[in-house]
Amino acid sequence: MTVTAVPERTRPSEEAAGRSLAGLLVTPVFLIIVSAALYLYVRGLDLDAIERRSVNQTVIVDQFIRHIKLVAVSTALVLAIAIPLGVLLTRPGLRRLSAPFLALANVGQAVPSIGVLVLLAVTVGIGFQKAVIALILVSALPVLRNTMVGLRSVDRSLIDAGRGIGLSKTAVLFRVELPLAVPVILASVRVAVILNVGSATLAAFTNAGGLGDLINTGISLNRTPILLTGSVLTAVLAMAADWLIGIVEYVLRPRGI
Amino acid sequence: MSFTEYLSERWPTIVRMMAEHAEVVLIAVAIAAVAGIGLGMAVEGRPRAKGLALGVTGTMLTVPSLALFGLLIPLFGLGLTPTITALALYAVFPILRNTITGLESVPSAVEEAARGMGMGRLSRTLRIRLPLAWPVVLTGVRVATIMTVAIAAIAAAVAGPGLGELIFGGLARIGGANALNDTLAGTLGVAVLALLLDVLFVVLSRLTTSRGLR
Repeated sequence: MTVTAVPERTRPSEEAAGRSLAGLLVTPVFLIIVSAALYLYVRGLDLDAIERRSVNQTVIVDQFIRHIKLVAVSTALVLAIAIPLGVLLTRPGLRRLSAPFLALANVGQAVPSIGVLVLLAVTVGIGFQKAVIALILVSALPVLRNTMVGLRSVDRSLIDAGRGIGLSKTAVLFRVELPLAVPVILASVRVAVILNVGSATLAAFTNAGGLGDLINTGISLNRTPILLTGSVLTAVLAMAADWLIGIVEYVLRPRGI
Repeated sequence: MSFTEYLSERWPTIVRMMAEHAEVVLIAVAIAAVAGIGLGMAVEGRPRAKGLALGVTGTMLTVPSLALFGLLIPLFGLGLTPTITALALYAVFPILRNTITGLESVPSAVEEAARGMGMGRLSRTLRIRLPLAWPVVLTGVRVATIMTVAIAAIAAAVAGPGLGELIFGGLARIGGANALNDTLAGTLGVAVLALLLDVLFVVLSRLTTSRGLR
């Protein structure tokens, strides 16, 4: 079956790993310029009553915070579920189970996040909590796969060496395997955050709010100022999140690697 | 109506939407392939240009799809044009990255030999290095395709064609008789289409890879 032949890196966020320090400095400047341009554009407009209802400080700040809440809650839960599960599935006793999970993760990539969100909305209901569940379903498999692939790529001889100097299996996990897998686990965090920022935009379709709400309102009412405010802010938020994780990766990466 | 009954009744519509979905994706990927391979050939071997090209197209991928569609509406209106543009923009990065990786992984001895035969830079790239890099390039195209199939489902939000119509239709008729069936058909349809296209690329890769590399 070709399922396993689906290449390792298919999700957007996994592609963007590894930037130079110079690249890390360009991004915030760019994002500030874009945000300032948006502000000046909206300020210069003579908004009508409908546009004022969406493009005002209260609504924008509310939706921005709601978006970040969606991302933060779902990312925290995904990491809490997927990373320990990935560690478990790469232990010798459960290693037999890891192949089916990897295959499942590969097939799962082909399932669109909007489909998962709407399926959940249709079967379970709409709103913030249901959207969080959908976001977890969407991002759990990529994070799980990333963790498993990372732990499996740790050199066997290092594990054997650890065992050889008298460390227990648990000690090898915490003192050899996990530290060596830190870059991979950080990449998992990035995957989770970027996927969730994107899917959270779609959560607006199922009444969970967020910046996607502004985009949808803009599309359905055919109001460009609302549409642009929502789209630009969402893009800025996503790039800022990616940038922040880039910084964290740069700082936390073990010196030896 | 059970899902099987639904499928046996609606399959012509579903297949038509799947075909539309595939059409949009393949057009976008074709555009992205021309752009990505061309750009890859232009920037490989030049670290600065390469870093810039990969940086810009890679950052593109972090932009949520609904936001990108939203940004394109003021330029192109609703429908097919913003859909194909957005999908093509997303699809460039994997193709570009793999083109560069593929071209750079060609052994320098091979290139020396070609140079020794009197071939110029362009003909070395087109006749020697690109055929050798082809399996890697094609993998990039395949990754791009599978990624775009899933993203294209969101195109229905900007009145684009494809299986997304079923998903958004199900959402609009929430609580209605066929809401779940529509959504399920749309979602599974996208996954099935992705797997079909994946198989297509495996076949294509076998057919177009230079015989010496198989």
